[in-house]
Amino acid sequence: MSTARATFTERWRQLPDVVQRLALPALVLLLAILYPWYFGGLPGAFPAVETAVIMLIFTVMALGLNVVVGYAGLLDLGYVAFYAAGAYVAAWLASVQFEQVTFHLGSIGIVDTLPGIHISIWIVLVAAALFTTIVGVLIGLPTLRLRGDYLAIVTLGFGEIVPQVVRNGDDFGGFDLTHGTFGISPIDSIGFGNTLNDTLGLPASYQTSTNRAELFYLTALALLLFTVFCSVRLRDSRLGRAWIAIREDETAAAAMGVPLMRTKTWSYATGAFFGGLAGAFYAVFKSGAFPSDFFFNFSIFILCMVILGGMGSVWGVIVGGLVLSYLDREGLAKVGSFASDVLNRPIDVPKYAFGVYGAIIVAMMLFRPAGMIPEKRHRLEIDEGVESAAVASAEQGGDGRRGDG
Amino acid sequence: MSTTATDRGTDSGTVVLELNDVHTYYGAIHALKGVTLDVRAGEIVTLIGANGAGKSTTLRSINGLNHARKGAIRFSGRDITGAAPHSIVKMGIAQSPEGRRLFPRMSVYENLEMGAFQRKDRSNFKGDLDRVFQLFPRLAERRQQKAGTLSGGEQQMCAIGRALMARPKLLLLDEPSMGLAPIFVEKIFEIIVEINQQGTPVLLVEQNALMALDVANRGYVLETGRIALQGEAKDLRQNERVRQTYLGET
Repeated sequence: MSTARATFTERWRQLPDVVQRLALPALVLLLAILYPWYFGGLPGAFPAVETAVIMLIFTVMALGLNVVVGYAGLLDLGYVAFYAAGAYVAAWLASVQFEQVTFHLGSIGIVDTLPGIHISIWIVLVAAALFTTIVGVLIGLPTLRLRGDYLAIVTLGFGEIVPQVVRNGDDFGGFDLTHGTFGISPIDSIGFGNTLNDTLGLPASYQTSTNRAELFYLTALALLLFTVFCSVRLRDSRLGRAWIAIREDETAAAAMGVPLMRTKTWSYATGAFFGGLAGAFYAVFKSGAFPSDFFFNFSIFILCMVILGGMGSVWGVIVGGLVLSYLDREGLAKVGSFASDVLNRPIDVPKYAFGVYGAIIVAMMLFRPAGMIPEKRHRLEIDEGVESAAVASAEQGGDGRRGDG
Repeated sequence: MSTTATDRGTDSGTVVLELNDVHTYYGAIHALKGVTLDVRAGEIVTLIGANGAGKSTTLRSINGLNHARKGAIRFSGRDITGAAPHSIVKMGIAQSPEGRRLFPRMSVYENLEMGAFQRKDRSNFKGDLDRVFQLFPRLAERRQQKAGTLSGGEQQMCAIGRALMARPKLLLLDEPSMGLAPIFVEKIFEIIVEINQQGTPVLLVEQNALMALDVANRGYVLETGRIALQGEAKDLRQNERVRQTYLGET
């Protein structure tokens, strides 16, 4: 047995670097893709597919906020504003909200004469993300001149302003923009339509499909993968380095020639983009944009995911996002019913949700202040030529050893 | 110190940097009250003075971190008085700021890379890196180490090296000797002279007036926001007032 294991380890080491490096992510990805199909055989603690969709969407938001808070070090307490903006763009562009006009573009599952704007959800997702990016820039331009705590307070303000506008936006001089506290519902279904269904077998409409949860799950997973890809690429780019320089020392970054306002605004816009994308997708999944979703504590909830996972660490934030959103949507309720069974009296654990999150954050700060998976700051692309030249010059100037300053 | 101002001659080249009656404020505090100075090609110019005289403020006015409210700053003939810090770096003014201000959680290599942030020509990056590593072999040894874990002297080397990575047409150094052991101070000043001999004019702000006047061609003495004295470094070195106030000689 032990020899068999030794040979396995040996063989594993002989495999190319690429295989060794990508094996684990590939396995995780495979397990994630297949989750809806083996979920039935798992113990009851695992989240339902519907819950998993929401977990993935919230994780996309956490990764977006991670660009602002983790990479650039800008404390944003109003992230919910972008979530709301994305959700309402989806609602405006794919519902009967604006019944004054009748405009259809690639809409599916509804008759062409239905009033209101009805644009294909795929286009709506892009439009929502771009619109929210613009909102991010508009909020960012006046506020990002502030530093540290002052920025946090002003973003907190915007995080309140947007939901209030949404809640009271049913009568702008007689014009109903947001339908007030009722929210906008239903939102058109996402799907590929009958033509593509007939020719390629793609699902015509998610909402009416028998595999509704699975389809939303796979689409949300694709969104998450896209977000992860962008997060990693941005982190290793020139822009990403500028963000990290600003986080490390803003004045020094300026002295190195990093344009502060432009660089910070880009981080804000990027965070807003993913917030809007996730918000729009969530609204489509729920088939509605409801103002009761957009409270201040949601900003803190997403921020907790980033802190719990590890600010700036993509993999950490994914874990943090999945864990906290699982607890929020299903985990705490399950703990509650389990505790109720054992103790034989009703205990409502979800009621104490924010107490639990608070305790988690305090415990994290005490025992793992850098998060569950701390950010590793390392260079990926160390140039061989630079390396050897450096070693050579180090050897030439070997007299550099002197006492400390 | 083997090389002094007299060895290298003090021919006045073309004016690289020119400050004309510069007034800078911190809020209501009038920090610079009309500073006029210039730096010419090939020179080391030092700015000496007591704490709070306005030395660092002068540098912050030049690099755009604290814009002058009155007066003009010209660099290579262009007015940069109100320019943004990043465009000033782009024009060719690099600096080692006061207190070094490295990026503590970045490696030495990444810090040097940040120095080249505004450069378009990535092709010469390696050559410049080699040059920095030749000036500071210690940095080559520690290239993967986090800058925050370097000793004070090494951090200063890293800060100067980082500024050189911008391939500056003018190098601003703010208190490079601060907090360093005497042996490191000497080493740093040797390297400043070497950098200057390779063709980069240097504006050197120092509290260590003795060392600064030793390596500089010309000097300015700042007192409460005004230029009190100016002249050839060797003359300032002999000046009675400078000797008493800044060199501690009697």
